Amino acid sequence: MSDRLLDIRDLSVEFGPVARPLRVVDRVSFSIDAGKTLGIVGESGSGKSMTALSVLRLVPEPPARISGQILFDGRDLLKVPRRNMPAIRGKDIGMIFQEPMASLNPLMSIGDQIAEAIMLHESMSADRRRERVLDLLRLVGLPDPEGRLGAYPDQFSGGMRQRVMAAIAMACNPRLLIADEPTTALDVTIQAQVLEMMLDIRRRFNSAILLITHDLGVVAEVCERVVVMYAGKVVEDADVGSLFANALHPYTQGLLRSVPSLTDTRKRLYQIPGSVPPARTIKAGCPFRPRCPARMDRCAVEMPPLVPYAPGHRAACWAVSKEMAE
Amino acid sequence: MARYLLLRLLDLVPTVFLVLTLVFIAMRILPGDPALAALGANADGGQLEAFRERMGLNDPLWLQYVHFLWDAVRLDFGNSLMSNIPISTLIANNLPHTVYLTIVSVALGLFIGIPLGLYAATQRNKLPDNALRIYSLIGYSVPDFYLGAILLIVFSLNLGWFPINGAGEGFWDGLHHIFLPALSLALLKSAFLGRLTRTSLLEVLGRDYVRTARAKGAREGRVIFRHGLRNAMLPLSTGIGISILATLSGAVAIELVFNRPGIGRLLISAIQERDYPVIQAGVMMFATFVVLVNLLMDIVYIFIDPRIRMKS
Repeated sequence: MSDRLLDIRDLSVEFGPVARPLRVVDRVSFSIDAGKTLGIVGESGSGKSMTALSVLRLVPEPPARISGQILFDGRDLLKVPRRNMPAIRGKDIGMIFQEPMASLNPLMSIGDQIAEAIMLHESMSADRRRERVLDLLRLVGLPDPEGRLGAYPDQFSGGMRQRVMAAIAMACNPRLLIADEPTTALDVTIQAQVLEMMLDIRRRFNSAILLITHDLGVVAEVCERVVVMYAGKVVEDADVGSLFANALHPYTQGLLRSVPSLTDTRKRLYQIPGSVPPARTIKAGCPFRPRCPARMDRCAVEMPPLVPYAPGHRAACWAVSKEMAE
Repeated sequence: MARYLLLRLLDLVPTVFLVLTLVFIAMRILPGDPALAALGANADGGQLEAFRERMGLNDPLWLQYVHFLWDAVRLDFGNSLMSNIPISTLIANNLPHTVYLTIVSVALGLFIGIPLGLYAATQRNKLPDNALRIYSLIGYSVPDFYLGAILLIVFSLNLGWFPINGAGEGFWDGLHHIFLPALSLALLKSAFLGRLTRTSLLEVLGRDYVRTARAKGAREGRVIFRHGLRNAMLPLSTGIGISILATLSGAVAIELVFNRPGIGRLLISAIQERDYPVIQAGVMMFATFVVLVNLLMDIVYIFIDPRIRMKS
């Protein structure tokens, strides 16, 4: 496919001794087309942030060991020499982080922080750069941009800081925007505004968005495709419609059942029993087995492969493959 | 901002007042008779009585206290009991040397310590980092007067590269004279500031906004200096303040070892000779110095941190 912007193949991230590695991302593969939004869903510790940071090579190596391929526009980012990565970060790929409170430098004015993102990649006069910063602040919907250029992050609310983060990430019109839980720290009304802003930016620049979240509501709202991760592995990936209509993996089904319903508020919210096992304790077989309602003997022995069950819909589950075979 | 500084200055008044009161009380509690100390054991009762009357020592305590405060406010410390030189002259002759020693030794400590700390932080747990750890250990363990004596023996007495005592005349000669004393004080400072730079920088480099800087495409040099060091300057400037204050205690010994003029040596000889007014004035100078350095640090914070600027 010619408009495939990001194509991740067999990405693994390991820590610890080579003989007994700790795999926090395990042979993850997915791709994003230009102009599209892909969501990665999973609980904390599922490896979704690590996957995103790997794309920008922001995971410190060592201690981490990263293998596989991250093809961005056909070029494998894992083969780009480390010293050449800064030229790609912020220019071709922008990133919005989870904690707007902690992700801005407290000692630099927001105007300077956005201007720095431009200055690092494009040379232009200070006046033009200032204009560009103001344009960006308007784009992300910050009221009174002129009056706020000299303001410091501490004077801003969480939502306003996340807008500043977005302005930084969009400063050089990147073709890929990675947003790592951009709305988690925000209250609901601001969440909607930030998501709307991201979609607006995507429309304008035809950028692709990689959205990391644990909020399925957010996914339904803005994504075309979804990758569900569990304990470092992709357990299901599908188009949004197909995932919500027909989730295959028991984990995805559990996630969907634990989304609160607006119509029936009396029912106790479903909860997947247990929690994500620490990477160190995962042995052979499917990592979801201990919590899985559909577990079989085979699950303890062998990790199920990610196989397609419908066009564009894959899952990794023995129970599903057995059911389909029947 | 001006208002903030004014408030900070007003804050100093109670501190200085408290110090003055403590000095007054300490002088009255100290064993020994000032009249006897001033006039010597051969003075007769009449002379002693006349001295006490002249110095106001027969006044009620509260009146002595009021006089004492009034004199202090006017910076009139009286004359030395030993040399009869006005104490303000003694201070004017000695203080600049101590201030100079402080500036040069702190500057040396910074020039050695900060680059070491920076390098160690970027080479965490590698050889340079361990080397700094050992250097710091040595710096903390070796007393400055001991190091001063060694430097004096090796470089002044044996090699003859540096003068043995005094403060020198003029800028270059002064610099020549101050180098070894300042270096003796700077070892501990550089050890302390080096470790502090390393720790503060590593702490800052782990922050989310540093990751943001990298994600923007900033190169390591820019990340470390613009985002890292600048934020690390907050804890570091506190350390520099502590380091400046620590020079005071260090200067007492170092001025003796190198036989340099200065407040430290003035104070030591005054204590040896029971020259009460000089001790009193010297302690007050030290206290004022501490208070002023603290004020200076507060001003530095304002320049570094916009959050403090905003609150003021």
